[in-house]
Amino acid sequence: MLEKNYLWRIYWQLAGVIMVCVVIALAVVSYFSHRVFDQELVPETEAKAATEGSSLRALVLKATSYGIPFANLYGVDKTFEEMFGENPEFSYAGITNTEGTLLYQYGREPQGALVHFHSPALLAAMRDSTVPWQVALVGTQYIVSMPIISKGTPLGVLHIGIDSVFVDRVLLEVMLDVLVVLVVSLFFTLELLNFMAGARLASGLGEFGQQVERMRNGDFTATARMRANDEIGRLLRRIDAAVDHLNVRYEFLAGEVQDKMRAANAAGREALRPAAAALEGIGKRFKFGSAQHSGATSDEMNLNRIRAPLFAFIIAEELTRSYLPTYVNQLLVNVPGVSPQVVIGLPIMLFMLIVALGQPYLGAWSERVGRRKAMLIGAAIATVGFLATALAYNLYDLLVWRSLCALGYAMVFVAAQGYVLDRTGQTNRAQGFALFIGAIMVATVCGPSIGGILADNLGFRMAFGVSAVMSFLSILAILRLPVNDVRPPQARPARPPRLREVMALIVNRRFMTLTGLAAMPAKIILTGVCFYLVPLYIVSLGNTSAMAGRMLMVYAVMMVMIVPLSARLSDASLRRDRYVSVGLIISGLSGLLLLLSDSILVLFGVVFLLGLGQALSIAAQSALVAEHCQEEIRVYGNDAVYGVYRLLERLGNALGPLMASLLVVFWGYQGAFVALSALVLFCGIAFTIATRGEQWQGEPVHP
Amino acid sequence: MGTIRVRFITVALVVSFFAVGMAAFLNYFKYKSTIGGIVKSRVLVVGRSIENSIQASLALGLQFTELATLPSQMEREKASDKLIQGIDVFDDTGQIIYSTDPARVGQRVQRSWTEAAARSKTTEWTGEGVEDYVAGISLKNNFDLTVGYLALRYSRDYVDRAASAAARQIMLAALGAFAGIALIAPLALIVVIRRFERDLQTLETAAVHLEDKGEQPALTGSAFDSIIDHLRASLRDANAALDDLRAKLDSTA
Amino acid sequence: MATRILFVFCLVATLLVGGDRDALAQYSGSRPLRIYAITFRGMTDVERGFQDYFAARRIPVQITWRDLNRDSARMPVFLDEIRRTRPDLVYTWGTSVTLGVVGAFDDPEPQTHIADIPVVFTLVAAPVLAKIVPDLKSSRRNVTGVFHVAPTEAQIRAMASYRPFKSIGILYTPTEQNSVVVVNEVREVAKRLGFTVVARPFRMVGNQVTADGAPEMIREMKEQKVDWLYLPPDSYLGTQTQKIIIPAAMAVGLPTFASTEQLMDTGALTGLICHYYAIGQFTAYKAEQILVNKVPPSRIPIETLTRFTLQVRMDVAEQLRMPPPLPMFNYAELIVPKETVATEK
Repeated sequence: MLEKNYLWRIYWQLAGVIMVCVVIALAVVSYFSHRVFDQELVPETEAKAATEGSSLRALVLKATSYGIPFANLYGVDKTFEEMFGENPEFSYAGITNTEGTLLYQYGREPQGALVHFHSPALLAAMRDSTVPWQVALVGTQYIVSMPIISKGTPLGVLHIGIDSVFVDRVLLEVMLDVLVVLVVSLFFTLELLNFMAGARLASGLGEFGQQVERMRNGDFTATARMRANDEIGRLLRRIDAAVDHLNVRYEFLAGEVQDKMRAANAAGREALRPAAAALEGIGKRFKFGSAQHSGATSDEMNLNRIRAPLFAFIIAEELTRSYLPTYVNQLLVNVPGVSPQVVIGLPIMLFMLIVALGQPYLGAWSERVGRRKAMLIGAAIATVGFLATALAYNLYDLLVWRSLCALGYAMVFVAAQGYVLDRTGQTNRAQGFALFIGAIMVATVCGPSIGGILADNLGFRMAFGVSAVMSFLSILAILRLPVNDVRPPQARPARPPRLREVMALIVNRRFMTLTGLAAMPAKIILTGVCFYLVPLYIVSLGNTSAMAGRMLMVYAVMMVMIVPLSARLSDASLRRDRYVSVGLIISGLSGLLLLLSDSILVLFGVVFLLGLGQALSIAAQSALVAEHCQEEIRVYGNDAVYGVYRLLERLGNALGPLMASLLVVFWGYQGAFVALSALVLFCGIAFTIATRGEQWQGEPVHP
Repeated sequence: MGTIRVRFITVALVVSFFAVGMAAFLNYFKYKSTIGGIVKSRVLVVGRSIENSIQASLALGLQFTELATLPSQMEREKASDKLIQGIDVFDDTGQIIYSTDPARVGQRVQRSWTEAAARSKTTEWTGEGVEDYVAGISLKNNFDLTVGYLALRYSRDYVDRAASAAARQIMLAALGAFAGIALIAPLALIVVIRRFERDLQTLETAAVHLEDKGEQPALTGSAFDSIIDHLRASLRDANAALDDLRAKLDSTA
Repeated sequence: MATRILFVFCLVATLLVGGDRDALAQYSGSRPLRIYAITFRGMTDVERGFQDYFAARRIPVQITWRDLNRDSARMPVFLDEIRRTRPDLVYTWGTSVTLGVVGAFDDPEPQTHIADIPVVFTLVAAPVLAKIVPDLKSSRRNVTGVFHVAPTEAQIRAMASYRPFKSIGILYTPTEQNSVVVVNEVREVAKRLGFTVVARPFRMVGNQVTADGAPEMIREMKEQKVDWLYLPPDSYLGTQTQKIIIPAAMAVGLPTFASTEQLMDTGALTGLICHYYAIGQFTAYKAEQILVNKVPPSRIPIETLTRFTLQVRMDVAEQLRMPPPLPMFNYAELIVPKETVATEK
């Protein structure tokens, strides 16, 4: 669709311009912040150096009071080392005698220090016990000097150096967060542009393109459509007018030919033959008349409307990913018989379980009450859930509130899915879902990172409050959706899978190869690692929730970049099971990286590989069901098979935190990463072996 | 055409507001936590030296309630740093046993202090008093039993004033940056939007004159050129076919 | 900060908390708790700490003190009295007293030994070796208690923090099982931390151990480039340190490290010790677990202090010209001879 790409190209250009401006603005803010930090923090640190120095001086005086000569103290550098350990801003410490000769030192000696130590003005001041301390800039360090005087007798001088670049180091930490803000702003911009430009523009251009295409193929049927009164609408109306005129001309001409034919005699008919032939030729080449309603009613414009509310709502939940386990840890209550690690995973498990079990039933429900209404109810419930989570007292009521959030989430998710299904036909279903999945994936990029930053700076409860606000905003966006539902004529009411279908499919070998060895392990490692292990492990290492958010952002960015690519490639190659195998194996290798070391960089590698593996396998997985379980679909029906597949897959979501928490109890965090990955690796290899056999080969299904 | 312009510029402003706002907010909070940390560690240096002497006395067998030299040491330490408002030592029930403020002796401390101490994973903890911040150290004996707590109250005003001064400066910078963007971005955006608007304009012009028999408006090199071409070509073909039919009909008349 | 260093010394200490140490013990019983306490040589600081703990916690106890006065013949009388008066808890001081009351864990005599009343022992140097308990985690019977020697590795690390070393020397009595075990422990730590051990047993004359030749052994150690002389918790060694061992070490400029308070008192340079007062308090804490919190002794592990005291003799340090490292001035107990008055810091 040339026109669709055109619009997105415009968006990217606009976003580029906006990003450049934003970068400039951020640079300005950072520059001024640096100045502020320099102005205020350096004097504070000097005061701290003075206090630390007094304490150290007291120690030295205590030692000399026991008779140890000032110049013969032992282990002074160890004391300096301890002081540095607690004060990373200090970069140098030294003690000189009253002449300025260095007796003990530690750290990086600044340029010109020795000259400074010998300066007569300094030494004179340092003999005076009323002088508390002095500061001078020596080289790149601020040297705080204080006298060491014992009972009126000057013994020497203590110098502590503060590196002026420590402010840079402090601001570097802020820089990382600002970078995250930049990336999130980019995605925000694209979403907002899409939202603000109006669905009408995109769908209008789309329709325009379709119309021209139809006319190129000779289809001049008139579509009796209402056109909006905007730029594109007017354009389309003009084309409609031209088409109408053509139709009128044709009708008139065709009528005239037929009249003449009827009224003519044989010779006249002979003369009319070329005209008749021409008419026939026109009839073959072109189509005139009114358009029939084709089966595929693509309600593009309204389809587009789902993106904004979905984005706002999903981001509300994604905001919590990087800090929810830590919050649960804070509210932890001792549950007898259950290890605390497992208890921490309970809210996540409950959430996933409710979403998994609710989905089959909520589909039918949202059909009954109407998609828009269902989404409104769901978003409202979720908003209440978020607010209550922010005010949670302890674990027990947290579980209740998170269940509310889960219910709301499931409602909105299923209703939105149904909305897309309703308004897309066979031809553009994939695109419709690309839009759906796209909004979700962008939310997973933006959410965790911003959420981590909010949690670190505002605290957990306020961060949940922000989620509630986002959820509320999504309500406002849902209100803009069309009130009436569109039902494709051949749609059957969706129904949840029956128990006997579930049981039958569970023991079905082909089905379970796909579900148990591929779909479920993929979800288990996703929720186990991303939702449970990463936030907890990172915080246990002493890092911030913002760092956890960055990790999850890396994962989401991998998904956003690679899923479209892998979807295209796997569709083209038709060897989708290969993609699933490779994806699983890469996911399985990710956690094994922690065997090498437990540094943060390695953890980034883990998340990177996991994102890569998941992206490769996820795109191809669901299509495999149709490919390889034809027999089962024939027996139980498409709905049932897919229903059970999704149910089991989502149960995998719930199993992830449970398994991860148990593994942590036995083997610690690193062990949990490794064990979980090893499990997925094993499943991936088993899947590869199982799908090599002849009886596996099913009928390839083209998208 | 105007509404598109306005809408896109609104997007630019909203996003810049978000980005600049977040950046300012991050810088402010970083500043506040850094300066809070520096001041706190300054206070804790004093606290640790008091803790040392308490530990030494306890190790020698003195009872926690019999530390005679403690009050004078606390006075000395408080005088050494004017940031410190007061120093309290209280037992594990929360009752203050020693204090630089004689009126407080015998009173109970806020429950939030003992809760913070219990929650902390190390011997250091923080709390808030009525009008000051508290840096605390839990005092444990030789077999890890908490015998009491040391609390150093320091001026909240000092940190808050420093933080708000920084906040003002950062906010000014942010507002300035935002104002700058509000001026530059629309101008820069208009360049892109104009091209878009021109393309749409070409499209509209072409559509208006679609059925003109005469010269059609020239293609301006916009992105829609090829499509306009297709449009015109297909209409031309259809009309040509119908013209041909007309001609054939007329010829027989 | 300094106290944190002391924590480092307790790496090997068993720290399993047998109960909630921070819980305030509110004893709301109607009658005072009765404790029957048997000492070996009268009242020591341990007993003072024991009593003070209950007073500070406001737990009413009634303690019946019985002293063996170094005569184990008195024991059966005390055991009878225990069986007659049935106290809530029995307190025993030292290895021999404890064995007299409860017997070895694998060979108790139900007729004589107490098996149905909780027993808390104190000041037992090596409970497992003495066969009082099979394992420090639990005695699996009605016994628990406190031992007072810092773990060997903690002592070695304390020594190294004073002055790093490559080789240490040990003099010990070969017939004292406790000492042999300690020497082996030191050798094991040496293998792990990478230093050598020169361990020389006292000479034996028939069955009698003698300190003859000890000064020569010390001189030889110095020639072998030994950096420290470690004084293990050895009874015979303890009787010889003040007169023979320490002077010999000082003569060759060899610093000495004491493993117990008594050895420290005889003039060693430095040592990692437990104050008896603190031991008494910890013993009382264990007793409180049994009496007030109703925890059975089999569920209370046998432990020692988590934090020990590093003592340094300043006059010895001056003589050896080895002042303690500066950080130690923050947390070590500096002992000065009575004539010099230490100036305030």
